[in-house]
Amino acid sequence: MAEKNFEEVRGITDPILEGISNGWITLDAGEYTENTTLEADVVIIGTGAGGGTTAEILAKAGLKVLLIEEGPLKSTNDFKMDERQAYKDLYQENAGRMNKDGSMSILQGRCVGGTTVINWTSSFRTPEQTLQYWGDNFGTKGVSKDEMAPWFDKMEERLNIAPWAVPANENNAVLSRGADALEIPWKVIPRNVAGCWNLGFCGTGCPTNAKQSMLVTTIPSAMDEGSQLLYSARAERLIMDNNKVTGIEVTALDKGYRPTGVQLTVKATTVVLSAGGINGPAMMLRSEAPDPKGLIGKRTFFHPTTFSFASFEKEINPYYGAPQSIYSDHFQWNSVDGPVGYKLEVPPLHPGLTSVLLMGHGEAQFDELNKLPNLSSMIALLRDGFNDDSVGGSIELADDGSAIIDYPINDYLWEGVKRTHLTMAELQFAAGAKAVRAAHTEAKWETSWEASKAAIDKLSYSASKALVGSAHVMGGLPMGEDLDKCLVDSNGKYHYLDNLYVIDGSIFPTSIGANPQLSIYGMACRLATGLAEKLTA
Amino acid sequence: MSSQINQALPTTRRGFLQLGLMGTATLALGSAVATLTGCTTQLEQGGEYKFLQPNDREFFAALIPAVLNKSFPGELSHDAAMKRTLLALDDLIYTLQYHNRIQMRQLFDALSMAPIRLAAGASWASWKDMSPKQIDDFLVGWRDSSLQMKRMGYVSLSKLIGISWYSQPESFVTTGYPGPPTKIPTPVTPKAKNISAENS
Repeated sequence: MAEKNFEEVRGITDPILEGISNGWITLDAGEYTENTTLEADVVIIGTGAGGGTTAEILAKAGLKVLLIEEGPLKSTNDFKMDERQAYKDLYQENAGRMNKDGSMSILQGRCVGGTTVINWTSSFRTPEQTLQYWGDNFGTKGVSKDEMAPWFDKMEERLNIAPWAVPANENNAVLSRGADALEIPWKVIPRNVAGCWNLGFCGTGCPTNAKQSMLVTTIPSAMDEGSQLLYSARAERLIMDNNKVTGIEVTALDKGYRPTGVQLTVKATTVVLSAGGINGPAMMLRSEAPDPKGLIGKRTFFHPTTFSFASFEKEINPYYGAPQSIYSDHFQWNSVDGPVGYKLEVPPLHPGLTSVLLMGHGEAQFDELNKLPNLSSMIALLRDGFNDDSVGGSIELADDGSAIIDYPINDYLWEGVKRTHLTMAELQFAAGAKAVRAAHTEAKWETSWEASKAAIDKLSYSASKALVGSAHVMGGLPMGEDLDKCLVDSNGKYHYLDNLYVIDGSIFPTSIGANPQLSIYGMACRLATGLAEKLTA
Repeated sequence: MSSQINQALPTTRRGFLQLGLMGTATLALGSAVATLTGCTTQLEQGGEYKFLQPNDREFFAALIPAVLNKSFPGELSHDAAMKRTLLALDDLIYTLQYHNRIQMRQLFDALSMAPIRLAAGASWASWKDMSPKQIDDFLVGWRDSSLQMKRMGYVSLSKLIGISWYSQPESFVTTGYPGPPTKIPTPVTPKAKNISAENS
């Protein structure tokens, strides 16, 4: 019988509550009872990897910064490793975000600190091939491997990023063991943690402050410099005058994420958009921002992610221990722009999320979930955006102005999805799995690699049959000097507005080909440092 | 209360209302009726549910045991487990953004009308009168359908019910998950300078 890895977590301080008690300026938009105007030198829309990094750099340069966050302000004392509470408080749409046709589930943060509060800590530099592809195809300047290295150095030091030094949990060890058996190279994942307890609850908000998310690093640092944080506040649209943004219309939200009816106006001389690849483009579309080529919200990318489940004789306890510590890029770069490449990793399996991933019902699903301690899963993250048939999705507006993510899975991607199912099943059997099932509504549990291979070959691949998810949102406001393809220049400035900068994952012209947080930190560090120099010159 | 009504009314013919167009002209008419009337039951005002109307809850009450099988009701009584799951579902769907919320509204409305229900592969009987076998046949039919709309409906319904139940601690006994460690929050202590300021 599986046992708890820790009985309790105690003795951990809450840096946010401490900061507030020491005079930080945190403003709950939901508590305003009348329309109000706020002012700052720089307003940053979004508090995730891009906005958090930018806030610290600008605040330390002496600028008066105001951060706007759509989600609530939750912090260490709220993080109880409870899926119910976490999805409701920390995730977009209660972890139920989907693309337009329902074929992909999207895990994305909505809270102060953004997705960095709920990600699984994997920290990779932007692959050299990706940076090269941007330069060749989009005219990005100053972002080659060598030019980016010092920015990655800096953020790796800031966020304590290093390969995980503790042995992988059993769930991750399935990947390394299977890879060894098949003579496939694998590596240890670098993580942004300091004093990690190896609990396994990165996805529900780190209960020990070990994860070096924006919530416990750059945001407290910016707040100590006198920055203001306005939360439960949705940036509705830019207020523009000719080629300048003069302010932002902000909708105050109640605890249920509905408008309270109060509208706030934020005035600033410089605006930084760091709202991510879905909400950022949607805000630009609502604003009817200048966009002569109609590029806003096009080329929004996920790493469409596929799953394969394996059951083992011994306990895996896939809900405990650092959720991601092993990866393989063996299938990633066989061709940069040919058939889609993919990164292999492992997801943590907590029961609520696992029931979603298993995509079934009734007795068959009960039999799977009933053996959760012996279950393992592997994931493959498809690298979208490097081929003419690989154009990602596009952001549209619903009648109420919210984002709709039109991201059909086309034949180019389906071909890759099928390959990933084969790869993962072979690896899981090589690691000693007694049975494997591709995450696909037609797939059954198979007890040998040969049987699995034959079964996967017969699966039909179309929407809402194979499980496809994503935890990574990129693109939609691409960076580069090629005006036919790009909206933001290589310094992060929006091509068509004088004082609007975009600093987050939305400026990536393709998906990254790796978990994107460090790509965002490094790029944000580079762009925000340049912006600080410009604004304080 | 107007916002509660607004978010419950379908404003478009897209999505699940197409279910009604898959059958006969009669069913297409049924779909139009669903569009015009918004839904087939009176909207509750100020109840404990923010999105799910009585008809929706009857629908889910039929589906929940079929989807969750032996894991339900876990350590709770049947009624307590049902209430807990319905409230979790209500909270989740209420938090979805507009497009997906409207899709759900249309799905529930369409399936509450017997002619559309029949055309969509379920029984003419109301949800509360269907046998477990009839409900399972409906779920399997949608899962294996050649129509993406039905497959999406199956995946959405099973995912929503699954995450709403298996996140509940009283379900852990049915999965073998030992649960998370207990978090003991640390009360906030004012920093030294504040204490000295108060003392001085």
